[in-house]
Amino acid sequence: MAYIEVNDLVKDYKIYDKPKGFFNVAKSIFVRTYHTKRAVDHITFSIEQGEVVGYIGPNGAGKSTTIKMLSGILMPTEGQISVNGREPWKDRKQNSLHMGVVFGQRSQLFWDLPVEDTFDLFRKIYKVEEHKFKQNVEFYVELLDMKEFLHQPVRQLSLGQKMRANIAVALLHDPDIVYLDEPTIGLDVVAKNKIRNFIRTVNEEKHTTVILTTHDMDDIEIICKRLIMIDHGKKLYDGTLSDFKRSYKGESVVSIEFESDEEYVMPEGTYPFSILKRDGAKYLFRYDRDKTTPAEVAYLVSKNRPIVDMGMQETDIEYIVRSMYEGKAE
Amino acid sequence: MEYLSLYLEFYKIRLKSVAEYRGAFIMISITKALSYAADFLVTWMMISTFQTMGGWKAHEVMVLFGLNSASYALAGTFFYHITTYLSNQVKDGTFDEVLTKPLNPFLYLSTRYFSTGYFGTFSISLFIIIFSLISGHVAMDFGKIAYLIVTLLSGGLITGSIMIILSVPAFWMLENNGLRAIFFNNIRDFVQYPITIFGKVIQIFMTVVLPYAFVTFFPALFILGKQDYSIFPSWFMYLSPAVAIVLFVIAYRFWMYGLSRYESSGS
Repeated sequence: MAYIEVNDLVKDYKIYDKPKGFFNVAKSIFVRTYHTKRAVDHITFSIEQGEVVGYIGPNGAGKSTTIKMLSGILMPTEGQISVNGREPWKDRKQNSLHMGVVFGQRSQLFWDLPVEDTFDLFRKIYKVEEHKFKQNVEFYVELLDMKEFLHQPVRQLSLGQKMRANIAVALLHDPDIVYLDEPTIGLDVVAKNKIRNFIRTVNEEKHTTVILTTHDMDDIEIICKRLIMIDHGKKLYDGTLSDFKRSYKGESVVSIEFESDEEYVMPEGTYPFSILKRDGAKYLFRYDRDKTTPAEVAYLVSKNRPIVDMGMQETDIEYIVRSMYEGKAE
Repeated sequence: MEYLSLYLEFYKIRLKSVAEYRGAFIMISITKALSYAADFLVTWMMISTFQTMGGWKAHEVMVLFGLNSASYALAGTFFYHITTYLSNQVKDGTFDEVLTKPLNPFLYLSTRYFSTGYFGTFSISLFIIIFSLISGHVAMDFGKIAYLIVTLLSGGLITGSIMIILSVPAFWMLENNGLRAIFFNNIRDFVQYPITIFGKVIQIFMTVVLPYAFVTFFPALFILGKQDYSIFPSWFMYLSPAVAIVLFVIAYRFWMYGLSRYESSGS
């Protein structure tokens, strides 16, 4: 059996309706009406010990909800989860002893406590052996470059320093698995790279399983070998990063801004590009990367209409997911 | 309990930060003490003018007053966060962090966020009780002093249990501020006076439904040597510790039940 087995997982949220009007407000004190929103919709996957998996999808896709079920915060509506043979929600304490979590939007550090005291506190919470503790602290402080702010209270740290401390704290007890929910959000390039390299090193040295959610394609490129992509609670892709990139190599987007905002009509004939979106005088063109280049697209377009600006559009995950989803729907 | 030392550790952290923000701590303590002292003086003068209140002399009513606010201060020290901020923590998702720790969520919350803001309230309340007992020439022996301490602890636990119970709707995304205002802040004021001045319905309500009468009135009968039992049996004056323990067990169970129905926010 794999380390994590997720089978036909479903999570519904109850959303209570906001009553309007005096009568309905009064009624809502006794009877609350609600509708359900399905956040995770029959997802199945399994993950082996030591794998590094990027769990991606647009905002509201159900990533965080899945992580919360895996980490034991939420109870599934339907389906099964097994993490190392345990049901996380039922066996919350045991499960949490063997996992680490980092929620990028929230800190689990103590505001007034210096970083090194925080380490010591977590040693007690997770009952880490003295010897192992010392070894890990040394290793993480070195690798994450934390020496300079070890004695400072958490409230004086920068966002990047806080994130590094959070990640170190989550790994102090050598968990089998660590859930990283947007660990690089809001950080500069240098800080991002430190964290990426760190995660990779820890995975290699300690064989820690990593599940990572992110909106940053570079996180995935550097850290993950496997990708699971979801949207609207459904799994869209599950496979290696290289397969994923191969299937999306074909298409890219270039943005072109015309001098005037009259509508641009594609001339007669077949071209290796097409209009994706229009925003006033600015157009997005989808083009086939195997057949043409952005420069050629711009050249062909500018033959009919003068253009003032062009730019390469980054193919971020959001875009890929959307296009994948639309592609499926067609 | 293997984790006791860990939970004590959280207290230590809070106390350390008190040392760090000493100015703020002293200011809060003094302001709170002053506001209670003002309340105390007004009530004292009022009852002194009337001579007695339902057969209770001014210093005797002031013992009730002191027991009530001391119990509140003790309860607030440990459970203020749970009753006030749990609903915020549930709404903004920070409560999730509590559930990712291999700890008892209730103990973790009440120790990690234990409040140092009630020191002033507790000190002035204790002063009021002692001052009232001395100025009323109440004969105190070892038994009475011991029971006074037990009463304070029981009163803290009873008041705290009601705080805990009133926090539970937060798990279901319900606003608990209104409930707390009525069943905690307002109703508790009744028991800083002898409950015998109210009608029977209120007396029974404050004894059986929301047992605040065991925080002040009943134990005070013993400490002050009064026989104002009203419709209740005389042994009720020894009942406070038992009421406190039973109520706390109920409150804790109910809180854990609430937790089992917790639905985190989506993000």
